[in-house]
Amino acid sequence: MAQVLMKDLNKKYDEVHAVKDVNLHIRDKEFIVLVGPSGCGKSTTLRMVAGLEEITAGEIAIGDRVVNDLPPKDRDIAMVFQNYALYPHMTVYDNMAFGLKMRKFAKPEIQKRVQEAAEILGIQDLLKRKPRQLSGGQRQRVAVGRAIVRHPQVFLFDEPLSNLDAKLRVQMRVELKRLHERLETTAIYVTHDQVEAMTLGDRVVVMKDGWIQQVGEPLELYTKPTNRFVAGFIGSPAMNFVDVGIQGSDGSLTAQGTGIRLAIPPANAARLGPYKGQRVTLGIRPEDLHIAAGADQAPYVFDAVVDVVEPLGSEILLDVKAGPNSLVARVDPTVRLKVHDGVRLAVNPERLHFFDTTSEKAI
Amino acid sequence: MVTAYLLLAPATLLLVTVLAYPVGWEAWISLTDLSPLNDRGAVFVGFRNYVRLLTDAAFWQAAVITVGFATLTTLAKLVLGVAFALLLARPFRGRALVFLAVFLPWAYPASVSVMGWYWTLSPPIPTAYAAFMGHLKGTVDHAIGTGAWSFLAVTLFNIWRGSSFIGVLLLAGINAVPPELFECALLECRSAWRRFWLVTVPLLRPFLALAVFLSLTTAFADLANVWLLTAGRVVFPVIGTQAYWLAIKAGQFGAASALSLMLVPFLLAVLLLLFKAFDPPDEARA
Repeated sequence: MAQVLMKDLNKKYDEVHAVKDVNLHIRDKEFIVLVGPSGCGKSTTLRMVAGLEEITAGEIAIGDRVVNDLPPKDRDIAMVFQNYALYPHMTVYDNMAFGLKMRKFAKPEIQKRVQEAAEILGIQDLLKRKPRQLSGGQRQRVAVGRAIVRHPQVFLFDEPLSNLDAKLRVQMRVELKRLHERLETTAIYVTHDQVEAMTLGDRVVVMKDGWIQQVGEPLELYTKPTNRFVAGFIGSPAMNFVDVGIQGSDGSLTAQGTGIRLAIPPANAARLGPYKGQRVTLGIRPEDLHIAAGADQAPYVFDAVVDVVEPLGSEILLDVKAGPNSLVARVDPTVRLKVHDGVRLAVNPERLHFFDTTSEKAI
Repeated sequence: MVTAYLLLAPATLLLVTVLAYPVGWEAWISLTDLSPLNDRGAVFVGFRNYVRLLTDAAFWQAAVITVGFATLTTLAKLVLGVAFALLLARPFRGRALVFLAVFLPWAYPASVSVMGWYWTLSPPIPTAYAAFMGHLKGTVDHAIGTGAWSFLAVTLFNIWRGSSFIGVLLLAGINAVPPELFECALLECRSAWRRFWLVTVPLLRPFLALAVFLSLTTAFADLANVWLLTAGRVVFPVIGTQAYWLAIKAGQFGAASALSLMLVPFLLAVLLLLFKAFDPPDEARA
């Protein structure tokens, strides 16, 4: 049972300021995911919690203990590494028992815990094998097993699924989620994969260049990104961005871009009023674009030319050009369109995003 | 079928030329009385050379010294080499300089550095230092036996040079191990000593085995350094110097070959023992 608190956390290497003023309150039993592109500081943050990196400034508390000066072994955490980090010279059993042996647990207790974990993970038959004889998925299961036998206060996952092939990754993702629901241990999970972040996290922390960009529940990040980076990072295919100018009178504002002209819905009008005469970034998610039908109102429709057609079976990704702007639309698989065909697209007016062009903050 | 053998031919030819032929020739010579001092050709003498060696006290003395020398230097080099490797494995200020200091004894030409050692231990110019070293030599020789000082010098030189090499070899080994394996141990165990024995040593096993093997073979075959460092006044003979004496000074090619070949079973035994350890630890099948 433990919450994790990070207060004004900073990490500086000689020339790199890797983690900047991170403040984060991870609740007890919460599954929190740190996500961001490589070099965003997510792994460094995790490693500071583990005690593998020194903290330059700030504080980390696990439970109600500040752990800054505690050696890793005494922090009551268990970590799962991307490359599994299993000892090749030990059997699966010995790998899983290693941490308990080091902590001088009695043999029967070690046996009980390893058996228990092996059953949860379905690896009872592998206990006598060496890691070399296991597949990638099995190895990762053992690595997770090694963490859970310890009954730690916090699980730390450092990109644990990144070495697995796509199919296995999806399968293990579901298993990890199930495991967390069963064990209810606080978990911090680092990944660069936004799909993993969205599916696993109770809350997701998006990081970039050492800064936290946004902390929120997955859907909150998706529907209400606080800035252009989060908007573009979360969601696949990524949100479309169009540079537009805000024009018109207060009653009826329009967003005028090259090749695109859209009315600004009344819901956004108040906030966009001050931007009249200025340029802003318009964001449209691919699923908020569809082929225009009779019901679509004229001010929310624009013309484009099909550039690439990507049929995915359940849907078609339509890469189109509207003037100089490239956009992706997610359309029904029954749509029959060829490259260079003209197409009339409509937007979902309630789901438009606007960002300040300079600060990149959501308007 | 024929093509396969044809394709194998160059490699086979090479092996025969550089390995099988010299070894075979030496084995044959060891069974004869070949000597440049004889006008006639070599005469087959059976195992007489071997029998003579085995009953010769000088051989046994050399054998004991060689084994002692090899064991002692290998142990010392391993301990120092591991220490160097562990020291250099983690980043710290001035690491490049320390690396240079560790690597230099190996990188420096042996013939030059051995002269440096020789002059350090037996200074050529009479100074107070030379007198001191002379006194030290006298004391050591008196306490342990004549030649002890020379033996000590050879041993020190071997350790000095070899631990540098083993340090660099093991550093490469440590760098080849994913850092997570060491980090994971750090999360579970606070005692550096236990981590070393339970994790570092098993992970470095192939590299340690290679280091032991190289150290033993070079110690067994060491002739040049012993010769250079003692200026030919070999009071503590090793197998290498014995064989050199027999072949070059005494002209007894047959006996010298037999002497060299006496080492082979011993080295083969060591190699067989180490052979299993050469496999990376993850190759083992449960």
